[in-house]
Amino acid sequence: MNNIFKFSFYIFLTLAFAWLAFVVGAKNQYGDLEPTAESLEEDGSIPIDAELYPKSMPGIAQQGAKDYLSLGCVTCHTQQVRSEESGFDVERGWGKRPSVPRDYILQNEVLLGHNRVGPDLANIGLREYSTEWLHQHLFMPQTLVDGSICQPSPFLYDVSEEPSEGYIESKSDDKTVYIKPSFRANRIVAYLESLKQDYELPEIAFSETDDEDLKEVDVTVASADTNDTSKSLPTWLATQIESGKEIYMKAAPGGGLCFTCHQPNGQGISGQFPPLAGSDWVLGEKERLIKISIHGLMGEIEVNGVKYNNVMAPPGIPPGSLTDQQIADVLTYIRNEWGNSASAVSPEEVATVRLTVKDRAAMQMWTAAELQKENSSD
Amino acid sequence: MKKTPEQQIDQSAKFAFSFFVASAGLWLLAAALLAYIASAKLTDPLFLSSWEFFTYGKIKISQANAFVYGWGGNSIFAVSLWIIARLSQSAVRGSILLITAGAVWNLAITAGLLGILDGHMLGHELLEMPKEVWPALFVSYLVIAFIIFVIFRSRRQKVTIAPQWFIIAALIWFPCLFLFAWNGLEINEGRGTLQSILSMWFGQNIIWLWLTPVALGCAYYIIPSVLNRPIDKYYLAIFGFWCIAGLAPWSVVHHLEGGPVPMWVPAIGTVMSIAMVFPIAVASTNFHSTAFQDISRVWNYLPLRFVIFGTLSYTISSYIGVIFSLPAVAKLTQFSIINEFHFNQRVYGFFSMIIFGIVYHILPQVTGKEIGTAAKNFHFWTSALGVFGLLLAYLIGGLTHGVLAQQPSLGWVTVIESVKPYFLITEYAFLILGFSQLVFVLNLWKVLVPNPFSCCENDAEQKTA
Repeated sequence: MNNIFKFSFYIFLTLAFAWLAFVVGAKNQYGDLEPTAESLEEDGSIPIDAELYPKSMPGIAQQGAKDYLSLGCVTCHTQQVRSEESGFDVERGWGKRPSVPRDYILQNEVLLGHNRVGPDLANIGLREYSTEWLHQHLFMPQTLVDGSICQPSPFLYDVSEEPSEGYIESKSDDKTVYIKPSFRANRIVAYLESLKQDYELPEIAFSETDDEDLKEVDVTVASADTNDTSKSLPTWLATQIESGKEIYMKAAPGGGLCFTCHQPNGQGISGQFPPLAGSDWVLGEKERLIKISIHGLMGEIEVNGVKYNNVMAPPGIPPGSLTDQQIADVLTYIRNEWGNSASAVSPEEVATVRLTVKDRAAMQMWTAAELQKENSSD
Repeated sequence: MKKTPEQQIDQSAKFAFSFFVASAGLWLLAAALLAYIASAKLTDPLFLSSWEFFTYGKIKISQANAFVYGWGGNSIFAVSLWIIARLSQSAVRGSILLITAGAVWNLAITAGLLGILDGHMLGHELLEMPKEVWPALFVSYLVIAFIIFVIFRSRRQKVTIAPQWFIIAALIWFPCLFLFAWNGLEINEGRGTLQSILSMWFGQNIIWLWLTPVALGCAYYIIPSVLNRPIDKYYLAIFGFWCIAGLAPWSVVHHLEGGPVPMWVPAIGTVMSIAMVFPIAVASTNFHSTAFQDISRVWNYLPLRFVIFGTLSYTISSYIGVIFSLPAVAKLTQFSIINEFHFNQRVYGFFSMIIFGIVYHILPQVTGKEIGTAAKNFHFWTSALGVFGLLLAYLIGGLTHGVLAQQPSLGWVTVIESVKPYFLITEYAFLILGFSQLVFVLNLWKVLVPNPFSCCENDAEQKTA
């Protein structure tokens, strides 16, 4: 301790040991990862003609990574889907599977980040955002996502009052402007669109809770989508379906929060939450559906021959707060979406059923057996 | 007018010490301004949004760099120079060289921050300043550290004590850390997430192995010297020192929990973070059981009040840090604004408070002038209030943020909406802190600048006093 040279040497060693482990050790372990196929032959070799992943980004996206870095986006956005034991990133719909080291080997700028004031962007390219939407968001996030604190970047755009070729509309509450992306804006959007971990690797498969489409995290986007099927329908029905979809997807007071369990695509989560698409319950008796929508459901239920056992609180935020009209809309929606086709539910029907169960306590959930018994006795 | 040996040392250190403290003060103000802008931009994203220069990410990152390298670096040079000279009982030599190197250091940081704001930042934590400035920073650092080493080597008393271990170790750790990181990030660039491990390792270690040990060294120096009693259970200090040295470089990577790195990396980090309770307990026992033997003196002597605030904050928040490194808790808080809590408690609540205290302690000895008691008291109470508000907001806000973020059913905007009130509190806290630091720096400059280079005037004052 009293000899400064010895002392300095020990101090150096304390660091050097940790460095050896974290840098030299880790490099030996996985410093030479290469792109590989989604699955390997039995002998561990890469199948002939197989696509190799990860793919390198297009050149414009690599440029975009530098712009993303120079604007400091990494301060608020991570680019890593944590493993399932360490967080709920996959459930939140931020990826089909946890990220693994191999995903990053071809990136020049690895921007994992460690703050999430904004959402994770590891799979932003997989979410259903159009290029235009990304530009509008980059220009002025608050016009698309109410309450966002993401920083606007108007300096990346040429702004004009009049629409013209190559300009994108950007609507805010008080005025509409037209914006033309600069090279930098195009590069950043190309970079964002290239961020996707949508392939399996030998070391990691897609997570089981995953479904066809990533969950829509942004409610505004979901409700802004126009429903193609509704175009050929009578107006009253289309209105009901549209309003029902909004309730289904809405995660704020007045919404139904349905999508979190039954998923935006109506497929539910295998083993946990039953599907609505093609479900014998959804397409069957209206009365049962209305009862479930008022009081909720618990216990074992068999849907399309598969047993589920879970709890469904009365839908709505707060639970059980949906009005007759809202219940009618959302039921009509689920009976006419994802290939379902069944009669609409009217608010009057809901009111009638509500009257028959008015003695039931607010949070006393139904069981499937109870509903089926009542029905057969009718 | 025969001077005591202490006065001669103070006299020799005056030139360099004044330079470093004065520049540290300016950087503190710059960082406070940037911190306020950043927090204001979180409560109102449209604030200053049309200028690319003021993008939130850039401001936030330059604030951290201004704070750590500008305020942290300069104040580390100032206090280590003085404490090492005093403990070695040998005069400071090479003042001109020190100031030249200090000027290069400050110019390089200025250039680096402008580089960040102009969009040339690197993607490595606390190593964001552009490549070009690092050689200048590194060389000027080596010059300053070398001079402090020479002073240390020429000490009269061969047996070393705790403040010397911590300060000398910190001076050695920084260049080693830098070389390791620079090698892995820029020279033999690792692929993929190897970079992220190293960047995390460097960024967190700068706080743990550079700022922290200097502040601990200051506390080990000032508490016994002001209270005039030995550190209680001093025999534990050496154990605490080597625990920090041995564990901290391993513990910092626990922030990568669950990420795309080999599982053993965060696992080691977590184990070592938990083991950090030992050095924290040692430092806490040493400081507080000594200080509480004479608590009225601590309370009445303002520099010591600052220092004890810092050591208490160190103890409490380090334990909180240990709790948040447990995997079950980290799952919730890992990416939340709890990270801001950790950073700010360490740099404001702990490091800065101790540096304020030690500067107030040294200043009258070196310059012969006192800062008014009212100003110092104002500085203490506003700092305490600001730090308290800031940390509480980040702690509660971070928990809210983390817990809500784990509800997959809540839209992201809903999560952020519920954290917004806490952002507003931090904005006010940064405003209070900025105001408090403005008072500190103005007073500091009033004492240092009128005639910092003259010795005769002060001598005359001392004689009349």
